[in-house]
Amino acid sequence: MLVTIAALAFLFLPLAVVVLFSFHSSAGLTFPFEGFSLQWYEEVLGSEEFRSAARNSLVVATATSVVTLLLGTLTAYGLTRTSSRWRVPLTLLFFLPVTLPGIFVGLALLVYFSELTITLSLLTVLVAHCLFVFPFFLLIAHAALSRTDPALEEAAADLGAGRWAVFRRVTLPQVWPVLLGASALAFALSFDEFIITFFVVGPDSTLPLYIWSGLRRNTDPSINTVSTMLLIATTVPCLIAYVLTLRPRSRGSASDLKTELEASAA
Amino acid sequence: MIESNQQVRSGVEPGEPSIRIAGLTHRFGNDVTALADVSIDAAPGEFLTLLGPSGCGKTTLLRIIGGFENPTEGRVLLSGRDVTGLPAHRRSVNTVFQRPMLFPNLDVFGNVAFGLRLQRLSREEVRTRVGEALALVRLEGYESRLSNELSGGQMQRVALARAIVMRPEVLLLDEPLSALDMRIRLEMEYELRRLHRELGATFIYVTHDQREALALSDRVAVLNEGHVEQIGTPGDVYDRPASVFTARFVGDANVIPVEVVGRSGTGVRAHCAGADVDVDDDSVESGSAWLVVKAEAVQVTASDDSAGADAMTGMVKDVAFRGTGFSYLLTVDGLEQGVRAEVGAGAQAPLAIGQEVVVGWSSQAARLLPREEGEALVVPVVGSEQDLTTKEETSDEQ
Repeated sequence: MLVTIAALAFLFLPLAVVVLFSFHSSAGLTFPFEGFSLQWYEEVLGSEEFRSAARNSLVVATATSVVTLLLGTLTAYGLTRTSSRWRVPLTLLFFLPVTLPGIFVGLALLVYFSELTITLSLLTVLVAHCLFVFPFFLLIAHAALSRTDPALEEAAADLGAGRWAVFRRVTLPQVWPVLLGASALAFALSFDEFIITFFVVGPDSTLPLYIWSGLRRNTDPSINTVSTMLLIATTVPCLIAYVLTLRPRSRGSASDLKTELEASAA
Repeated sequence: MIESNQQVRSGVEPGEPSIRIAGLTHRFGNDVTALADVSIDAAPGEFLTLLGPSGCGKTTLLRIIGGFENPTEGRVLLSGRDVTGLPAHRRSVNTVFQRPMLFPNLDVFGNVAFGLRLQRLSREEVRTRVGEALALVRLEGYESRLSNELSGGQMQRVALARAIVMRPEVLLLDEPLSALDMRIRLEMEYELRRLHRELGATFIYVTHDQREALALSDRVAVLNEGHVEQIGTPGDVYDRPASVFTARFVGDANVIPVEVVGRSGTGVRAHCAGADVDVDDDSVESGSAWLVVKAEAVQVTASDDSAGADAMTGMVKDVAFRGTGFSYLLTVDGLEQGVRAEVGAGAQAPLAIGQEVVVGWSSQAARLLPREEGEALVVPVVGSEQDLTTKEETSDEQ
């Protein structure tokens, strides 16, 4: 019990300090804590630089989660339904990027983009994020789709359902909570992605980059404020993902998928 | 429903089989032959059963008819129309699977309405037809139940309703009762027969259970190792088996090697286990033959001195009480294999294990099948039925 408390404290105390000082009434970043105030939130929210970084992050993360949802679902469906003898090697190839170091991906993309003389912009960030997030999404979607019973799809085909109707009316109703959950995870992963973004961002800024540059400039609680907002923006989708995968309609696969999701999130 | 079936039928040419399977061969990979040149016709409105042990190809054949598998060679015709290669969703056949396979996200109504909604029928028509189908399987009032609120038998009824609501020309049933309890299974057999009468559709029924096949079918096709052993009425395959396999698998008969030695009356005289027996069947006139005699036709009496020197003698090796009577396993002098006998409960006092007996049967009860010289039974005689049943249940799950 004591160990558990110690472990939790070790995990959450630094976070708590950051969150606490985001509400500090003075500019001090160290104890003693002098009182609550929302002044840093006011200051940050009033900053045009912050607002544009936040907007960029939001746009990129939303686009990433949507693109990943569509492409990842298609890929996972294809991989789980094909009878090709390339199925296993292909699946491995799709999963492999999970292990790639961010610095490597960032550098590779930067070289790639400059070779093709593509101007760095939010679009290159979007492409990079999709690339980065895709295998995580695929792991979850693949697990969910390979757990559905193919005999159920045969039963639907037998009743006159073509490929698309089978997918929409039989497969999707069984897996959509998991897919949405994985998509929320994709949002969170994209929203706080720093390393790869740093390489391919161009003139724009995202929230993690804004915090990093702010940290170099000054040390007032506004950084804590931004970090706290980032924390909320990434944990809320993860919580949504958790809840969605916790209670999908078919209960059999739910718990497995939940653990899968937690494993990938960690 | 009856009116609609006439609509379906009106497209059928007179004399055209509802379903024709012509020269069907199917291989998995390069060396596994599941079906070898199978040809079967089913008349409109017929109840045809494909009967055979695990691995005989009956489920593969059904999957080919349903469009889930493409045959290596041969054709499938529905009412004269070649449907070989047509995917499942474009065939006017529907399937009831071994497991109910209800859609878990839909209630009973949604499951039965599934195929109709795909046809974009009006809401009104969907409701009417779902109602009719549920009435036919006696599940009125269950519309809003989810599948986890139903018993196994009820789920399989929903699966039936889901298929018949489509008004298929041919209804395929893949061991639909094998996952149910014995009591519900018997009840469902009556339901299936009633449904078949009321719908008038062609039923193709797959089972490994000969009792089920005999009870339900107009005709039975006995399948063994990918080929058809015999097609005929239940009476044909049971009483007049055309092969040793059919005799043993369907009739559950004793198959004993004999030598035909000459004519005798309307039949022949054969040398059997050191004795001479008359057989009222002259299909084999001389030489080696198989003598087929059902267990319930075997007479077994405690031996006393009155038995002539010419009688077949043996010993009771095992006995089992069956409720309706006793099953005996007998060893017969001069015969390597055992002989089984079923004796009605009231007929005689039960015989004890080790009891010396006289074994016999009437000349009308025995039949002959051709036998190659020196050919012997490969499969063990005792317990074969039980072995087949358990094997089937485990292996067919895949």
